[in-house]
Amino acid sequence: MQTMRWRWPAAVVLALGVLVTAGCGDDDDKQAGSGETATTQARTFAAGTTMAKLKDDGEIAIGVKFDVPPFGFKNPQSGAVEGFDIDLGKRIAQELGVKAKFIEAVSDNRLPFLKDGTADLILSTMTITAERDEEIDFSEPYFVARGRVLVKEDSDIKDVDDLSGEKVCTALGSTYEATLKKQAPKADLRLVDSYSECLELIQNGAVDAVSTDDVILTGMIQQDDSLKLVGDPLTTEPYGAGIKERDTGFQKFVSEVIAKWKRDGGWAAAYQKWVGRYTGEKQDPPTTTLAEALKLN
Amino acid sequence: MGTLFEVLTEHFDELGPGFWVTVRLVGASFAIALVVGTLVAALRIAPSKWLQRLGGMYVETFRNIPLLVLLFISYAGLRRAGVPINNWVAGIGSLGLYTAAYVAEVLRSGVFAVSKGQVEAGLSLGFSHPDVLRRIVLPQAFRTVIAPLGSITIAMIKNSAIVGVSLLTLPDLLKEARIVQARTFQTTETFFWAAVGYLLLTAGATIAFRLLERRFAIRR
Amino acid sequence: MGYLFDPANWEWLFTGNNARFILEGLLVNIQIALIAMAFSLAAGLGLALARLSRMRWLVFVTGLWIDLWRNLPLIFVILYLALALPEPWRDAYEDAAPDLLPDVLQTGRVFAALLALTLYNSAVLAEIMRAGIQSLDRGQHDAAAALGLSYWQRMRLVILPQGLRRMVPATVSQLITLHKDTTLVSIIAIQEVMRHGRIVTGFNFFGGVQAPVLQVFIFIGLLFIITNLGLSRLSRRLEIREQQRSGTTVKPISGLEDQVATAQTR
Repeated sequence: MQTMRWRWPAAVVLALGVLVTAGCGDDDDKQAGSGETATTQARTFAAGTTMAKLKDDGEIAIGVKFDVPPFGFKNPQSGAVEGFDIDLGKRIAQELGVKAKFIEAVSDNRLPFLKDGTADLILSTMTITAERDEEIDFSEPYFVARGRVLVKEDSDIKDVDDLSGEKVCTALGSTYEATLKKQAPKADLRLVDSYSECLELIQNGAVDAVSTDDVILTGMIQQDDSLKLVGDPLTTEPYGAGIKERDTGFQKFVSEVIAKWKRDGGWAAAYQKWVGRYTGEKQDPPTTTLAEALKLN
Repeated sequence: MGTLFEVLTEHFDELGPGFWVTVRLVGASFAIALVVGTLVAALRIAPSKWLQRLGGMYVETFRNIPLLVLLFISYAGLRRAGVPINNWVAGIGSLGLYTAAYVAEVLRSGVFAVSKGQVEAGLSLGFSHPDVLRRIVLPQAFRTVIAPLGSITIAMIKNSAIVGVSLLTLPDLLKEARIVQARTFQTTETFFWAAVGYLLLTAGATIAFRLLERRFAIRR
Repeated sequence: MGYLFDPANWEWLFTGNNARFILEGLLVNIQIALIAMAFSLAAGLGLALARLSRMRWLVFVTGLWIDLWRNLPLIFVILYLALALPEPWRDAYEDAAPDLLPDVLQTGRVFAALLALTLYNSAVLAEIMRAGIQSLDRGQHDAAAALGLSYWQRMRLVILPQGLRRMVPATVSQLITLHKDTTLVSIIAIQEVMRHGRIVTGFNFFGGVQAPVLQVFIFIGLLFIITNLGLSRLSRRLEIREQQRSGTTVKPISGLEDQVATAQTR
């Protein structure tokens, strides 16, 4: 991993980036879309649609992660929530002409939040799966992550087969519980409420490995470069925005915003700012469709 | 009604072991709480002011700190400091030491119920202080406070659930219920059986202590 | 040992926003505790009166209710309500929550937490209040009846003011337990002191200073010990004042978790 040599310049750039975004936003979570593209159209929506209702309310409640850099995390110095998911959320709010209110959605309350209306939208590193699709609706994929395994740099674990008998951490209610049971049935699974706990456990040696989406693991490497990714990708994880079931009008709207975001460079800018800068890997906006994603998982 | 029992039978291989983890956690913590609680109570009534203050500090610390904070300190905190404590030891230790503070307080009030005359008689008969404690005072103190000890035990059974939700990743009954619920979304049914499990334990403890009280209690 | 006292490990406390961030979290815990206590007092009084009523069935049913909530783990109830509470209830809470409450406390999740805390706490308080009321000398009831007061008038003017006043120290003591229990709401993602503590340990690269878990949570532990010691001192002072005032006291076994006060004089 090249991250070693990147550490200091990356930290400086990150700190500058944080200062700049912290300066742009308000404190606490009520933020209007920060103008990443110049056009702010005042759109009107057909009455009775979710978009119209949100426009009336003046704000959209978006469930995001508060502890998973670089996709969703709360900066303790400024109190603001930031990340790749947040940037997409702000863009969607901007297209609606409302304010974005970010609330914390951990893995096992994401679906309940959507169902009971606590959140209007979920942008929380959520993988599109057929099982989840039965409870909620997804937008078109906005990112494709891959499942990997994270270990300490001096670990003997080289890939998923070495996980037999080792303590592996992942989040309660995430797709990795099932994945690991299938691909590493003899592993000692430790389930926690959020990935920040997994990071704590691997850093203090209580578990030997963490398995989840590579971008979440990259966020951990950002915080502790004595960790590394090993092995081949376990899974392909297309991320989708979570929408209340059967709200096809809103689902179409969100998918359109995502498509536009990919086309006009918004996606590339967010990727570079939050991921590319650390992994050093290039990526193009995903072309996987929702139908394909559902067949995968 | 059908789904209610289905949930139990289908997931018994997860909920069952969870129940036993809770039982083991509670049992081991209870033992520690009794032993440490007795020691601290002895400190609190020792003739030396320093020992008394030491005991007092223990009680004030462990009674006023939330169990969840204690769990973080004892597992994550200690491990970071280089102590390779495993999750069972951290869990049992935390729950045990936490409960010990309450045991100590209750024993202390039990000790005061034992008349001073007995202590003086024992001392004048040539027993040393520790012996007087061990043979005369504490046995009677315990028998006086059986009911409050039962109350403490029930509180401990309930607190064991906190160990399960902490980052110790001990697969106790509540944790297993959450795992099953996250997979099947049958919230009410899964939690119903977890509730049954906990109520069985607290009811068992209540009955056990009532029996103990009938046989051993000294009324004052 | 060196790790514990190493000043480098405590540097985080004095840099950036860390200490203030944690204290802001603690404020949320205190607010939740006070709100839950307020509701619990009202509900607890109702339950206590029901337990003391002359209708046998009411006494029995209330007894079952109280026993249920005192025997279930609080974290269990919090998790269940957080997962199972129906949407309309949450919406109603969010609409009803006054704007003077901080944002954190206006989410529907907090309703589940407050409801759970109130269900449990009111059951404990009900027993405390019942003990207080029952500890009053029978003479009070009889004298009031002789004065021609009806049941409710007796309650309102004579029994309750005296009985409840006796339970103030025990109630303050219960506030300590409630305050500790508010840390449990961190499990359902409410941004209080535990969550803030975890964020501080996780995002040390923002402040540039390593915030180790051990020190951060010792700090949080100390915050609780200090606030709770203050509360228990208050409770003791109230107990002494009550003793001086009325000559008799209801003697709770001090500091017992989930205590039920036992009456000393009859």
